[in-house]
Amino acid sequence: MSKITELSSVIENEYVRKWKDEGGKVIGYACVATPVEVIEAAGILPYRLVALGNPSMEIADAHLSRFNCSFCRSMLQLGLDGTYDFLDGLIETNGCDHLRGMFENWQYVKPSPFFHYLKVPHITTEDALDYFRVEVRLFKEAMEKHFGVEITGDNLWSAIEKQDKVRDRLRKVLAMRERESPAFTGAEVLSILLLSAVIPSDDFVELADGVIEERGTWRPPDFRARLMLCGSASDEVDLVGEIEGVGGLIVTDALCYGTRAFWKAGKEGDDPVVVLADMYLKELLCPRMYDDYPRRRDYVLSTVERAAVDGVIVMHNKFCDIHGVDNVQLRMDLEKRGVPVLQLEKEYGAKADFGRIRTRVQAFLEKIGDRGKAGDRS
Amino acid sequence: MKTSAQVGLFDRVSAMLEIVNKLPDDMSDEEIEGVLGLLPPDSRQGMGAFFVPRVRKAGNVFLKMIASWFLGAREARREGKKIIIVPFNFPPELIHAFDNANPITSEILSTIGVVALEGQGERYWDMAIGLGLPDHMCSSHTIELGSILGSEDFRPHAIVSSAPGGCDTNAKIHEFVSHYLGVPQFILEKPVDDSDRGREQYSKYYRRLVADLEEFVGEELTYEKLLRVAEKANKCTELCLELWDLHKAVPCPVPNIFSLFTYGVRFAMWGTDEAINTLQVMVDVAKERLGEKAYPAEKEVARALWVYTSYYFDLHNFFNWMEEQGFTHLGDGLDLFFPHHLDTSSRESIIEGMAESSWNMPMTRQVGSESMSVSWTEDVIYACRELNANCAIFCGHHSCKQTWSVASILRNELQKRTGIPMLVLQGDAWIKRMTPMSVVQDQIEEFMRNVVAKKRRTRGRGALATGKS
Amino acid sequence: MLFAGIDIGSLTAQAVLLDDGNIILSKSINVKPNPVESARAVMGELLEENNLSWSDIGHCVSTGYGREKIQDEGMAQQNVSEISCHGLGALSLVPQVRTVIDIGGQDAKVIRVDERGELVDFVMNDKCAAGTGRFLEVMCRTLGVALEELGPMSQRAKNHIHLSSRCSIYAETEVLHYLQRGVDRASLAAGINRSMAHRVMALIRRVGVEKEVLMSGGVAKNVAVRAELEKMMNVKMVTPRLDPQLIGAYGASIIASRAGGAT
Repeated sequence: MSKITELSSVIENEYVRKWKDEGGKVIGYACVATPVEVIEAAGILPYRLVALGNPSMEIADAHLSRFNCSFCRSMLQLGLDGTYDFLDGLIETNGCDHLRGMFENWQYVKPSPFFHYLKVPHITTEDALDYFRVEVRLFKEAMEKHFGVEITGDNLWSAIEKQDKVRDRLRKVLAMRERESPAFTGAEVLSILLLSAVIPSDDFVELADGVIEERGTWRPPDFRARLMLCGSASDEVDLVGEIEGVGGLIVTDALCYGTRAFWKAGKEGDDPVVVLADMYLKELLCPRMYDDYPRRRDYVLSTVERAAVDGVIVMHNKFCDIHGVDNVQLRMDLEKRGVPVLQLEKEYGAKADFGRIRTRVQAFLEKIGDRGKAGDRS
Repeated sequence: MKTSAQVGLFDRVSAMLEIVNKLPDDMSDEEIEGVLGLLPPDSRQGMGAFFVPRVRKAGNVFLKMIASWFLGAREARREGKKIIIVPFNFPPELIHAFDNANPITSEILSTIGVVALEGQGERYWDMAIGLGLPDHMCSSHTIELGSILGSEDFRPHAIVSSAPGGCDTNAKIHEFVSHYLGVPQFILEKPVDDSDRGREQYSKYYRRLVADLEEFVGEELTYEKLLRVAEKANKCTELCLELWDLHKAVPCPVPNIFSLFTYGVRFAMWGTDEAINTLQVMVDVAKERLGEKAYPAEKEVARALWVYTSYYFDLHNFFNWMEEQGFTHLGDGLDLFFPHHLDTSSRESIIEGMAESSWNMPMTRQVGSESMSVSWTEDVIYACRELNANCAIFCGHHSCKQTWSVASILRNELQKRTGIPMLVLQGDAWIKRMTPMSVVQDQIEEFMRNVVAKKRRTRGRGALATGKS
Repeated sequence: MLFAGIDIGSLTAQAVLLDDGNIILSKSINVKPNPVESARAVMGELLEENNLSWSDIGHCVSTGYGREKIQDEGMAQQNVSEISCHGLGALSLVPQVRTVIDIGGQDAKVIRVDERGELVDFVMNDKCAAGTGRFLEVMCRTLGVALEELGPMSQRAKNHIHLSSRCSIYAETEVLHYLQRGVDRASLAAGINRSMAHRVMALIRRVGVEKEVLMSGGVAKNVAVRAELEKMMNVKMVTPRLDPQLIGAYGASIIASRAGGAT
């Protein structure tokens, strides 16, 4: 586990370096709506862009504004200051207003050798699905053209199979965290999830198998309550650590970098492009999807029940309108059903904010009472 | 806790507009003063902007158009017709085509509230924030939302959201309202795709929306009904294009506040007789002023294109004040809807034409496109060149995350390709608490006198006009 | 056996000692450079002045800034959020209290508690100066009056002045403009207090009001802000028999006494 924590805490980890040294290419993407199998099928390493709580934004702030989410500003900073120079391409997705602006500024200032815009619908009607199936096909063709490779149906099925293994391990880890005596902390699971999206799938499966075995009978230290964490794009492992430091163990989540990246296995079908498009669009549990709030709400409610959650923290990065509003709906619906909720607005990457957050989480834990001791839920 | 203001925006604005409706068409200065004197301070300040002599004729007609729209919707509701909330970037003429449905445009509702009511929109904004909604949401919907959620008077039957990916706050707020009230939200999705494929996909979505609305309202949109609004929409287009051309003259004969009237017409009543009448009066006034070479200041110091919104919480000290200093407001981003003539030969051609109008609505067109910076820059540069602008201003409404995210690119490109300088302001376009108008005025004045005027002198266009201070 | 509470705020630090459920001693000082020093100073001085020592304390709870470090240093056996401490402290003073409005030097919070003093809901503002004591400080400097004069002064207001800005920086500019135009200080003071109350109301709306309502923290001493809030909520607030600044530490000491086995 410590190896995973270490690897996931740097942008260009040793697996990526090794991959590059051996002549491999890496493509960066931002959203969970991106079918990474298309990238993997081309023999390229998909890399989910992160900022890892990077607090400096001076270069980025000359382009994005202070009214933009600091997660995007942090990410742009890393794009422009050379940290992400190892990338051979970028895939833009229209996740939100801030992200669109982030990509446009990145391309404007420092164009990537390969840049493709994957246009993701906001609805899942048949028309939209049809459109997205063609989008995924166009994505594949753009990759083939630029990198001079052919991505066959078999390549795609093989990539789906590999990613299914990754997803299988992630599901195991998540289930182990949700058990009565959680086998991982929330911070650890976030590290595992982050790593799953930035190193070759085979390597990840190997590491995951190791950690699953390592934590077979592990018990966490005393904690005060089992919490679920929902909200904006956040890869801030430290932040999760701070919340847990006050005694709230994150046993499950619905985070953008968390369990929302958790897909059901690759479905059966004739055309892997169609399978991928449907899988990625239909399973997109993201507040950017309209006409879908009840499903998101029900997902959270069923997770609360399954994971025996004592309270839910819904957080959003300042200026994130999508989560800012969705969280209010969610809070109201959860409270109506007797689930305690803490609604938090925070800056991304601001360690100075941690004190404020700890105070609120502590008060929240005091409010819901001490529910859980390790392995003892009466 | 019981909210302290349970009378909603809609009812209070309706009351104000009933007074407006009763005003005679021609009023003297004394009569105007008398009427305004009856109003409380904020309302007097807001409504007064419409009655400044050079604006009065068009202001009167515009307000009556708004009154007709509002009171028509209230009456329609009483008659059991469907009231559908639409965002400003959705062409309302589609809803006007129904006999049994009326559109209410959220941002216009909020703006009228801000202009006409005592306390402006603040109490409703407070209500919305009191629910836990973040304060970085757009006040243009938050005001309306606060009223709907916190008061008894107004419940729409449905909500339409247009191009949800073009503005996060717009669509999310309406999703929230729809869930809270238990009314359907109809999504008109727009692919961020400028290719033919994207455009065709949009037509599909639009046609599906038409069908869904027909089912919801329980009424078929026949060719005759669509033709009725389409022909009027075409007349509106002609007048709008005339007004656009009138802006090109130097000095500009079109009063600043007409920029607001133009999109007020577009977003609320396009395709109706009232809209045609309003635009006609505006064109007539502008033509008359052109003939007289009338201009409120001694000299036109600056011709500014406002690249996105304007400020709406103090219309008089914004629009009217600027032109009294010699600063022309040529229009803003919301005027960039590029109206076109609808092909009225068949029901399908009209619907397709309306889809095209919808595709080109402001915000959707500029920042709901494949590249926000490219589309927005192209439109701004086009408008600057067409209208002979010598400067640009970005209002910097704090919750416009998309425009804020690419404003730096626009500024660079504008400077590089046209030499036109762009001022970046901050503030909330609907709530004066964020940045007071006095601060906005100071910044505009400094920009105009020190940047714009200096550039003109450097190019040898003559001495700096003194204007009114 | 004595039970203790230590509350470190942004400007002042408080210590309270309980004996048999009653406050026997309390102290308030200006904060030192760091919370641990402040805790050591405020409690240390209180004990010394009364010929007591740390070992006379059976159980101590720390709250406010640096509460965890204070516990790590051994000065407290437990740390609890200032939110819970304020809520419980207020309820213990006035058992009917269900809403606590605490406006300190640099933060503001509104707390709802149930009949046992357990937290029902809360909201905090600790980022923006507007709605905290800091706003009043800045305004007083601009107006050229002392902080404690601001409340009483506004009762002599001749005009109704509305400060429109949400941001303290612009509000300062507005006040200067009014002064230049010859508006009297008393009216401006009233406008400032009203503006402050508006900001606090924005927080209050987030959690709602349930009677009885108690105001704590330094700003509670401003009679004009209190009066404005009462008008806006349409509720008369109760007045605690304790200095409002001590309520947090008092709540902490009650938690200490419960943890220490006292009834």
